[in-house]
Amino acid sequence: MEYIIKNGIVFDPLNKVDGEQMDICIKDGVIVESVSEDAKVIDASGCVVMPGGIDSHTHIAGPKVNTGRLMRPEDSYKDLYLKRGLKPGTGFSIPTTYKTGYEYCEMGYTTAIEAAMPPLKAKHVHDEFVDTPQIDKGALTLFGNNWMVMRYLKEKDYELCAAYVAWVLKTVRGFAIKIVNPGGTEAWGWGRNVHGLDDPTPYFGITGREIVRGLGIVNEMLGLPHSIHVHPNDLGHPGNWKTTIETMDCVKDIEPKPKYGERETTYYNAHVQFHSYGGTSWKDFVSKGVEIAEYVNKVDHVVVDVGQITLDETTTMTADGPMEYDLHMSTGNKWANCDVELETGSGVVPFYYSPKGPVYSVQWAIGLDIFLNTDPSKVLLATDHPNGGPFTRFSRIIAWLMSKKYRDYWLNEKVHKWARTRSSVGDNDKEYTMYEIAQITRANQAKVLGLSLERGHLGVGAIADIAIYDIGPEEKDPKVIERAFRYAKYTFKNGEIVVKDGNIVKEVFGDTLYVDVKIDETLEKELMKDLEEVFKKDYTVQMENYKVPEYLANNWKVIQIDNSEIS
Amino acid sequence: MEIILTLREDITVPVELDALLPEKMQDMDVEEIKNIEVPQGRTTVKVGEIFDVKVIESDIPKMTIKNSSIKLKRVGEGMTTGEIVIEGDVGMHVGAEMKGGRIVVNGNADNWAGQGMKGGELIIKGNAGNYIGSAYRGGYKGMSGGLIVVEGNAGHEIGEHIVGGMIHIKGNVGYFVGIHAKGGIIRIDGDVPGRLGAEMIKGAIVVNGKVSEVLPSFKYEGIVENPVIKIKKKDEGTKIEGVYHLFTGDYVNNKPKGQLYISVASNPHLG
Repeated sequence: MEYIIKNGIVFDPLNKVDGEQMDICIKDGVIVESVSEDAKVIDASGCVVMPGGIDSHTHIAGPKVNTGRLMRPEDSYKDLYLKRGLKPGTGFSIPTTYKTGYEYCEMGYTTAIEAAMPPLKAKHVHDEFVDTPQIDKGALTLFGNNWMVMRYLKEKDYELCAAYVAWVLKTVRGFAIKIVNPGGTEAWGWGRNVHGLDDPTPYFGITGREIVRGLGIVNEMLGLPHSIHVHPNDLGHPGNWKTTIETMDCVKDIEPKPKYGERETTYYNAHVQFHSYGGTSWKDFVSKGVEIAEYVNKVDHVVVDVGQITLDETTTMTADGPMEYDLHMSTGNKWANCDVELETGSGVVPFYYSPKGPVYSVQWAIGLDIFLNTDPSKVLLATDHPNGGPFTRFSRIIAWLMSKKYRDYWLNEKVHKWARTRSSVGDNDKEYTMYEIAQITRANQAKVLGLSLERGHLGVGAIADIAIYDIGPEEKDPKVIERAFRYAKYTFKNGEIVVKDGNIVKEVFGDTLYVDVKIDETLEKELMKDLEEVFKKDYTVQMENYKVPEYLANNWKVIQIDNSEIS
Repeated sequence: MEIILTLREDITVPVELDALLPEKMQDMDVEEIKNIEVPQGRTTVKVGEIFDVKVIESDIPKMTIKNSSIKLKRVGEGMTTGEIVIEGDVGMHVGAEMKGGRIVVNGNADNWAGQGMKGGELIIKGNAGNYIGSAYRGGYKGMSGGLIVVEGNAGHEIGEHIVGGMIHIKGNVGYFVGIHAKGGIIRIDGDVPGRLGAEMIKGAIVVNGKVSEVLPSFKYEGIVENPVIKIKKKDEGTKIEGVYHLFTGDYVNNKPKGQLYISVASNPHLG
């Protein structure tokens, strides 16, 4: 099928296209130089054209998301998706699989990365991916509290650790290394937590610093497309901004060596809003968003996603088990948690970020502080869905960023006065341009995930994932912005029209991305000896049960990396 | 305008009537009302297929359901003004999410009456089921305003997660009255088998009948006469007549402010 998108105003930061009126040609699912006269013409005059959106940090599949759905019938009953010809769905903060796919696509998003997959529960994650239509998916795999990783890193055996990481990624079909509260989730298994980067975890005696640095080294040894994806220690505690900067700083000497993609950074800090808290308690809690932004601007090895609070009722879920327990104890809300043998843990707690709450208002302002002060090429838009708020609020965040007036309206009319007095959002006049919005929702994500060769841009050869928004490039009315980015005029997935005027018109099934690194055979044999022993002694499953079978995807998209020189 | 709906014959598959609010039907004529589609089981049915519809003059938006059945669900759900009179029994969720107006049930009501109610009045002349004025399943905010009166008996978990408003049951009730209460007042004129106020944080429960036992996590505060119940600081207070044992709790929570007033005359074994 051939299409030509005519007269759109194109924003494509990876190719430095800033609001140029041009035509985009599509043939057989990719973007091409020109098409024949039979091509279908899509009139995009007066509309903004961008590459398909990418969410690099979201929780949309797997056991903890499903637990959230089970424990929150009340989240389902007021948000129904009943469109004809499509699968119905429910859920506001934790939508069912089909609803997730449809709603991402309605917003012009075409790729989403599940941010926490416990290797042992990988089958569940992939099983839900199969039922998540419209978007391409990938899963960050949890390694930060893995017994094998901690054991090898304690012995400083980076080669075997690399071999293990490669084996897990291949076996459970994971996309990248995720680290959550390094050492802390393991400590939670002993009823404790770690409180800083140099606090040793019980039994293993390894610190967060050793885990983050070690996995950083391993990541570059393997040449993975994405960098280490880190949720540092101390999430959500006043005064944690120092730990955050320390964590970012501890990997600054590691060189990026991706063997796939064009990544230039070695460290991805997830939902940095939750890690930019000043003060010593909730009473003298202040924003340190500006300080974090200054650090990020100064260095070359870091990118951050914000994890913006949207001030909604939502469901928090993370592999940071002890933190969820704290949340449950402080709110009295229902709580579920899980220990994943030898690998990680998790917790789920519903949460209401009331705009009237002083602390929540400051949290909201911190996210904006980071957005407004960080170099737009180093910051990414995400809500850490559903932790900061549901992904369907992206368009509202875009409206906040593009309109100072809208921000001030919220600041003065809607939220608690702490947001004004304890952050610098009110003093900041920055308004994001359409180009910068394209950077923080598409280009930066594609680049840092190592997918910028074929995604996140509109150059010739790219996958034809395209969003067309019914909005002028100079539009300032927040209502118009919010509406336009919530319901795309058109979304193309692999060169097909899947959304028209905000409605899903075609159901397609996306690919599942994973990374397969080939490593040296003798090294792998050595690893297998250790692994067999661990499976026999400690796991409740056999190694064969661990594998994610071939059929658990609509289509696998494997990124092959040959790295047999590690020995 | 008053709309009179008469159920022609008893139905077996339940019908959901949340689309039939008197305020919404004010500008409709009989034919339009007959053509409104309502869910019945997994299909839909037109109002005219199961009801005889008649319209007469009235000062307020009003709807009367005659020959009503327990298979009619969600009557008056989300209502904001006007009046609904039900002759006979009514099914689940009557007056759920109601914000204003008045519903009178001249018969019995099934479970979940007045669920999540925010305002208005719901009067049930017969008996009622479980979960009166409760939260939605899994939710943590029940009835927040308005008045529910049940003249007969009621079931279990009355006022689950209640945050405001008043529930008055004139008969007996089941277990767990006011479980998880965070406000509001529940008055029971009849007997309570026990476990009242479990995990309550705030609010008050008044019992004039017999209470077989009070949870051990409540603290006995002594005997009070003609107390004035205050829930919030600025509250003027609700005056009740009588002599009561006062308990506070539930001390499974931190700093609870829940109050239990239990009649001394009916409960000589307490205190």
